[in-house]
Amino acid sequence: MEEVKVKKETNLTDPAEIENRIKELCQQFPHGITDQVIQNDLPHLEPQQRAMAINKLLSLGQLDLLRNSSGLLYRMKDSQSTSKMKGSDNQEKLVYQIIEDAGNKGIWSRDIRFKSNLPLTEINKILKNLESKKLIKAVKSVAASKKKVYMLYNLQPDRSVTGGAWYSDQDFESEFVEVLNQQCFKFLQSKAEVARDSKQSPMVQRNSSFATSHEVWKYICELGISKVDLSMDDIETILNTLIYDGKVEMTIIAAKEGTVGSVDGQMKLYRGVNPVIQPTGLVKTPCGLCPVFDDCQDGGEISPSTCIYMSEWLDF
Amino acid sequence: MTAQEVRLCGLLLREHFGEVVEKVGTHLLRSGTQNLRTIIHETGVSLDLVKKSLCVLMQHGACVFSSGRKGPGSPTEYQVTCDRILRILRYPRYIYTAKTLYGDTGELIIEELLQRGHMTMSSTVKTVADRLTQNMEEGHSMDYNEVSAAFSKLVETHFLQRCPPMAVAQTTDKTTPGTPAAPGTPAEAVSTTTPTPESFPDCYKVPDVTLIGRGKRQLSGEDGEDQRNAKKAKLDSEVRTHGDEGIYWQVTFERFHLHFRDQAIINAVASRLDQTSSEIVRTMLRMSEVLTSPTATCTKPLSANEIFRALPTSYNIPRPILDQYLTLLVDDPMEFVGKAGESGGGMYVVNLHKALSNLARATLESVVQERFGSRSARIFRLLLRKRHLEQKQVEDFAMIPAKEAKDMLYTLLSQNLVQLQEIPKTPDYAPSRTFYLYTVNQLPTARMLLQNCYKTVANLIERRLFETKESKRLLEKSQRIEAILASLQASGAEPEQLKEVEEMITAPEKQQLDALRLHVNKLDSAENQVDETIFLLECYIDSTATTTR
Repeated sequence: MEEVKVKKETNLTDPAEIENRIKELCQQFPHGITDQVIQNDLPHLEPQQRAMAINKLLSLGQLDLLRNSSGLLYRMKDSQSTSKMKGSDNQEKLVYQIIEDAGNKGIWSRDIRFKSNLPLTEINKILKNLESKKLIKAVKSVAASKKKVYMLYNLQPDRSVTGGAWYSDQDFESEFVEVLNQQCFKFLQSKAEVARDSKQSPMVQRNSSFATSHEVWKYICELGISKVDLSMDDIETILNTLIYDGKVEMTIIAAKEGTVGSVDGQMKLYRGVNPVIQPTGLVKTPCGLCPVFDDCQDGGEISPSTCIYMSEWLDF
Repeated sequence: MTAQEVRLCGLLLREHFGEVVEKVGTHLLRSGTQNLRTIIHETGVSLDLVKKSLCVLMQHGACVFSSGRKGPGSPTEYQVTCDRILRILRYPRYIYTAKTLYGDTGELIIEELLQRGHMTMSSTVKTVADRLTQNMEEGHSMDYNEVSAAFSKLVETHFLQRCPPMAVAQTTDKTTPGTPAAPGTPAEAVSTTTPTPESFPDCYKVPDVTLIGRGKRQLSGEDGEDQRNAKKAKLDSEVRTHGDEGIYWQVTFERFHLHFRDQAIINAVASRLDQTSSEIVRTMLRMSEVLTSPTATCTKPLSANEIFRALPTSYNIPRPILDQYLTLLVDDPMEFVGKAGESGGGMYVVNLHKALSNLARATLESVVQERFGSRSARIFRLLLRKRHLEQKQVEDFAMIPAKEAKDMLYTLLSQNLVQLQEIPKTPDYAPSRTFYLYTVNQLPTARMLLQNCYKTVANLIERRLFETKESKRLLEKSQRIEAILASLQASGAEPEQLKEVEEMITAPEKQQLDALRLHVNKLDSAENQVDETIFLLECYIDSTATTTR
């Protein structure tokens, strides 16, 4: 320790050494350092010298200046990005930074314009430039098919952008969802049937008709109907649609930590259930399904006496 | 009272009592309480006919009268109750229920009472015994005692009740033809609030009736019948008194409705869980039948021990299995059965209101499902479950592509099955700063569907009348031929002769008649099916009204 201190003090006057020291500090704290940290580390440094060193680093693009709630923050610039950005002008750097900040959610070109205050034509040029350098990429968002968002080239787009497993090329694969929905139901139904035929006590019957989401997931995976890898969460969303279809009910039970399929000590159990009533009487008549029901009047253009739906139904 | 209800009431009145009663009835329904003079003036029907129509309506309990609102001495006013007229729609169901519960005798008793509004016990028993004898083999007849036993049983189980005494005094006046109807006698009029039959202590008390004899067979031939009737009338009025004059009986619709309600719950449990559970619920409901008031939200608590003892032995359910079944019933998300306590091996109740609410919800879901497809039903159920959702959330939860989901939501919205709630972030309601939340309000939606049901039934009746009117000539012809055939058969005609008469209906005509019969049957059964929906929705709306009051 003694030695280091001595060494530091001897080199204090050399501006290159100061810069190195600051860089070291930045590496030590990757989240950034405040002015105070530098002051503490190099107590004998004149504020002027410090400012000079920092300014130099900033101009070289090795250091980032950020502002947060407690004041200014210095952070090491990604050495990679600095090397990539070689040969680009400030505007390009700025756009790149904005895109980088957007992360894997991406950013829309209009939002880039607002943030950078550059004209749209300029931005388009820069974006094209960056794209050709394979620094960024354009991803079509599922939320709005015409909206392109930009993000760094090596990033995996967020689920909100791609829509997860249910989208291919921005199209919602409703058929895929329906097939999965039916398969899950079939699985739960057969399970319930087996339980019913087992002729055991009612409690055992019900309990054995339950399937955990993990079991359903495994079944779907083994069926091999899906080209993409589905996660447990994906299967649970499918199972939820079955709940909304009124075909399945769910209970949550406490599970021992580490049991297969348990999340946070909980396990979701699903089972197929029977409907409470048959289709109600009203919808067994043509009027219950009639698209022009509200326009139907005695003696009117549409009337019960002349109704063609009724005639067809009666002759059926 | 809505336009749809009035229309349906009108059609029902026309079918059962003819056009004049329909005119007077619908007029009173539309214009509320009115006195005789105004009715005559506004309908343009003659005094005599109006009086008779009012008598008919009163006989069936569809009309009440009260002294005028303008103080003593003002003319009596009449009011028609829509609910009672709509009950006519359910007559087949009452009769069928009586048949399943009490056999042919019960069926006929209920049928007679429904058709005549109200009768004394002695005349009911006589008519029913005569009718039963009619259908028996030669040489057999029905004993009056058997019929009156069935009658007493129906009273015991509250399916029949006495008409309130005041109304009796009034209506006896009216049923005897020739006596001028109420308007001149305001002194007799009852206070404005009509007394409920239950408020009289003797409501379910069977009077001592001396009825000895057997049902008589009607003689064949019309002349004989007339003679017999005349004789019988003479006998009734002059010779016999049975000790129950002035005590009139009517069908307790509420009791039937309770029975239907219980049946609906039992059926729902059977289809949701299994037969055994439904039998347990049936036992629970039967046990609490007398203990629970008709408007209660749940039955009186029953202990598992009591339920176990009350279970029919033929079911052979051991005690531990019963406990398991009860736990399952309590655990079911439909919550037909609830647990009220731990004493006595666990106290259980049947959640009547919740069950009705769940059944009504299932009905709404079923309507959406059949009419707009299962995906719309998914959205509908989703909204019922999650209450308020934005369009985006609906798409995500239901996993339906945005375009289709939007289409379905807007269709449901335009049909008033789904409501839209705006929540602005700023007071100017700018669309970009407003949340649009979709939601389903079960009660108003149920009310709307109920109106749709009324309209549907009215349509079906209308169609049925139209179909029969279209082939009126044909129907008349076939009836004539049948009559000729019957008389020929009775006089022992040659087979060739019979065949000749039969051939008077040509093949295409026969085909047409068959088609017509098929159509009418289909429409009839459809009416009954829609009435089941009506019943469920009415029950739900009534029970919600009583719980929130």
